[in-house]
Amino acid sequence: MAFNFRRKKIEEPEIPTASMADIAFLLIIFFMLTTIFSRAKGLKMVLPEKTTEIVKIKSENMMRISINPEGKIFIDDAITETPVSEIKNIVKERIKENPKLVVLIKTNVEAPYKKMIEVYDEVLQAGADKVALQSIKGGY
Amino acid sequence: MKIKRIAKPKVIIPTASMADIAFLLIIFFMLTTVFRKERGQKLILPSAKSTERILKRKHLSYIWLTKDGKIFVMDQRVSPQRISYDFRLRVLEDPNLIVMLMFDKDVKYAYVDSILEALREARALRITFSTEFKGGG
Repeated sequence: MAFNFRRKKIEEPEIPTASMADIAFLLIIFFMLTTIFSRAKGLKMVLPEKTTEIVKIKSENMMRISINPEGKIFIDDAITETPVSEIKNIVKERIKENPKLVVLIKTNVEAPYKKMIEVYDEVLQAGADKVALQSIKGGY
Repeated sequence: MKIKRIAKPKVIIPTASMADIAFLLIIFFMLTTVFRKERGQKLILPSAKSTERILKRKHLSYIWLTKDGKIFVMDQRVSPQRISYDFRLRVLEDPNLIVMLMFDKDVKYAYVDSILEALREARALRITFSTEFKGGG
């Protein structure tokens, strides 16, 4: 009687990794196509609450920047137009003189939105924290 | 005469680390992905130097306003009155709601004003005028 002591060959366990990269790239392509990078950026503002009481602001604490239908900018009661690039320095000076200053941006309803943003941008750059928006209806 | 062939060296591209690289990229895309909820409208945003990034993305809610004055919320055309009603409910759900205003740069201010008034009515007071970064200065 012959004994067979030959050991059975144990198969080495293997995890096939050849297709791993393919699976991974497939997933990458899926995420690449579905991804949109966050576009959440802009100019922040907090609107005033709607109340029946009228908040009175002294005229000396108020700076009015008006935008007419053609997008021209006027400060307070000035007759001559102010270039957008100068607003920042003017507002800065005014805030230095009076820290309580409230900047009111009055935009005509016919004026393009971008003009109001340009002005608001300049006012923010000047460091104003009290900004109000108002619209002018009808003619100038 | 016997000509000896020069044995060509085998060209091998190492692929063992390919999967690692791929998974690294996957993780990057998974973390940066936000699935879009709405398709949005085609418009050109204004640009501003003091543009800030908004980090609280989950509180954001969008209003789109196209050049010709059409208002869209969640890809549906709406009226300012509807915004007032809609956002009142949204503010109740999320008191920290930030309304992202995606307005075309050439739209008339009248439309902007009507939306701002509607939002005040709805007590959705935290807003952001969506803008692009403007270079320089």
